[in-house]
Amino acid sequence: MKWKIFSRKRRKGQWRLIFKPDGDVADVMALPGAVVEGRIAGRYLLASSVTAGTVIIQGVGRKGILAGVDVAVDHEAASEHDVDVAYQPRSGRASLRPAETINFEEMMLNASDEFVPVSTTPEDMACILYTSGTTGRPKGVKLTIKNFLCEQQSTEQALDVTPKDKIIGVLPFFHVFGLSNVLHTGLIHGASIVLVPQYSPGNLLRTIMESRPTLMIAIPTMFGHLLTLLERKKVRLPDTLRLCLSGAAPLPKEMIEAFERCSGCRVLEGYGLTETVAACCLTPPDGVCKAGSIGVPLPGFEMKVVDGDGKELALGEVGEIAIRGEGVTAGYYNLPQDTEEAFRGGWFLTGDIGYQDQDGYFFVTDRKKEIIIKGGLNISPREVEDILLTHPVVKEAAVIGRRKGEREEIVAFVTTRGEVSARELVSHCKQSLSNFKVPDEIFFMGILPMSVTGKVLKKELTDDYRDERKIEQKEIGPGSVD
Amino acid sequence: MSAKSNKKRLGLVQSIETWTASSPDLVALRFEGEAITYKELNLRANRVANGLQGLGVKKGDRIAIMLPNIPESVYTLVGTLKLGAVAVPFNTLYKGGEILHILKDSGAKCLIALTNFAPMINEIRPELPDLEQVILTGERNLLFAHPESTAFIQLILQGDLIKDIDGAYQKMGHILLKIIGDLGVKEAWYKHRGSIRLRGDKIATFVISEVEGMGLINAVVFLGPLDTRDFLRVVWVPPEIRDKVVEPLTSVQQETGKRPLWDQVKETVVAAIEQGFQVEIKEGSMVRDELFGYEKLRSLAYKAR
Repeated sequence: MKWKIFSRKRRKGQWRLIFKPDGDVADVMALPGAVVEGRIAGRYLLASSVTAGTVIIQGVGRKGILAGVDVAVDHEAASEHDVDVAYQPRSGRASLRPAETINFEEMMLNASDEFVPVSTTPEDMACILYTSGTTGRPKGVKLTIKNFLCEQQSTEQALDVTPKDKIIGVLPFFHVFGLSNVLHTGLIHGASIVLVPQYSPGNLLRTIMESRPTLMIAIPTMFGHLLTLLERKKVRLPDTLRLCLSGAAPLPKEMIEAFERCSGCRVLEGYGLTETVAACCLTPPDGVCKAGSIGVPLPGFEMKVVDGDGKELALGEVGEIAIRGEGVTAGYYNLPQDTEEAFRGGWFLTGDIGYQDQDGYFFVTDRKKEIIIKGGLNISPREVEDILLTHPVVKEAAVIGRRKGEREEIVAFVTTRGEVSARELVSHCKQSLSNFKVPDEIFFMGILPMSVTGKVLKKELTDDYRDERKIEQKEIGPGSVD
Repeated sequence: MSAKSNKKRLGLVQSIETWTASSPDLVALRFEGEAITYKELNLRANRVANGLQGLGVKKGDRIAIMLPNIPESVYTLVGTLKLGAVAVPFNTLYKGGEILHILKDSGAKCLIALTNFAPMINEIRPELPDLEQVILTGERNLLFAHPESTAFIQLILQGDLIKDIDGAYQKMGHILLKIIGDLGVKEAWYKHRGSIRLRGDKIATFVISEVEGMGLINAVVFLGPLDTRDFLRVVWVPPEIRDKVVEPLTSVQQETGKRPLWDQVKETVVAAIEQGFQVEIKEGSMVRDELFGYEKLRSLAYKAR
């Protein structure tokens, strides 16, 4: 009983409030920082004025960005748009560390310089890369040490990288294209890689002009941005550049030619998948570049076109592209069913629809999953998109199928350069397409959702799209069983 | 092997070690004006391998890597290979649900990410029993402050007040939930670490940090809609992915039709913290030592790089 009375009598702790509703963005860092520093000093000076707790409530009177020192900020744009820019000082001794985490630099500092690599076999897994594709949930693609080795051998001749090379490292290393064809290729052959952590057209061009690379490996969007910038600024790329490689999405032939004129070097177009450790097909370096073609298989990869039963089709016939080789994945992590469905008789089914011509060049026309079936007829979204794109006002187009009762409808999403009515686009399509291929509905968009590699994310255009970024209160989506 | 081509069938780890031995000063990476040689790259990859091994990582364990193209990303990828562990690099633009899926599916033991992803990782961490370590690097934090949207609430506390991090996250989460509720938003929820949400959208968020034996809780509450357009013009982000850089957000104003006034915010926040921590809070000002520090930090913040 006594104790209870005692505890009730005890005075509540007193905390201090600092209230500043109209500060600026530097205050967000400087106010708590000053209190922290004051407390550290106070501890050594044994000052009694330091309270157990301080609460700061603050707002800002002007727009502001508080940036870490590694963030690229456009200061001109900042003053133009009245945005204050303040930097967080580089964390020193008394650096903030989120609770229950380890600081990378500290971990490095305390570790030894010597390490004997753990012994591995070629069959050991090196990497799991998650591919979102443009439809469905990300699947983990298992890639072994052997897969990476084979890919290196396959591209060796075409890229011919040596220690004299300097490669632009703008493709993210979390994506197979950057990881395999830039990071692995560059470091295996003793080249140097110029790291570009944050892509912007200006940033890329500046890096190219300053570092004078010999090799640029990028995606079509980047080549497109660069072309526009080069034309606007009336500059030429450095003459050190000897080769460019584009992949991940088709690069139109006009663009290849325009870029070759601008750079004075060859632009090769590659085709590959996460499942093939990036490039498995390439424009022959000494051969012809055919419009719309993905090129010919690289050494170490075999490719063929098959029908629904896995039977090989004749040249020119359209079917699914299948690939075999030591560079091909062993399958999907934790997904035996998907793995089984993806292979037939040792051949990996790419899900890409296309054909092979008389000269051995492959062409991709569609994604299998995206084919629209309307009234029993197969419709290629790509074909409809290509027609829409021939209209002068249409900038981008994405066509998907939408279930309506028993049947599927064709829905088009477009971005435009100017005014145009849906009716006009429909009649434009009717001039070149059979009636059943003409879109049933057309939506005008500000932008189309795209992946980092510039592919339209068609799944985000469907009615039942669920934003996977959100965290839900109930365990309905992310992480639960489909 | 002098600086000639590597035509032998060597993998990444062996190649780097061979270049290190034959041409140690050959440049492997260039980053912001700095040249990193093969020898330095090899040494730092060794340090990562040793560091991870010290944390209990073994051959075959999955190491998730959420980094842009910075040297640390290369050290980690090479170090992971040296350990015989499996690298799981993934898109730095991924958000909550996507990251959760990848970490869960791969059963990653460690995650190496940029410091600014800490709040996001925190929020999903309780659902990831396999994830033992979160290792953070890089100074790429980014915070938007807008007069009509953001209210910052910061608590600087003696370390013993937040010794139990889980408990502290629970307590602060519920204090923020109460604040949001008292400001008129009734449907918000708090599951675990990090964010107060409505439906799947974020209305307030916080992170607990440690520094020199003290605890620092940094929270932001969205009072009004956050117009990010001007900010995104300043930090360049490709237009196609703008909507992915900022998580889906909502605000008190969007939910109640009215943006609360600052006096109401102050009163509400103080009352909720007083109740949550069982303390009295009195308005005060900074003492002399703190004012010196304040001026110093401000001038550092605005000094152009």
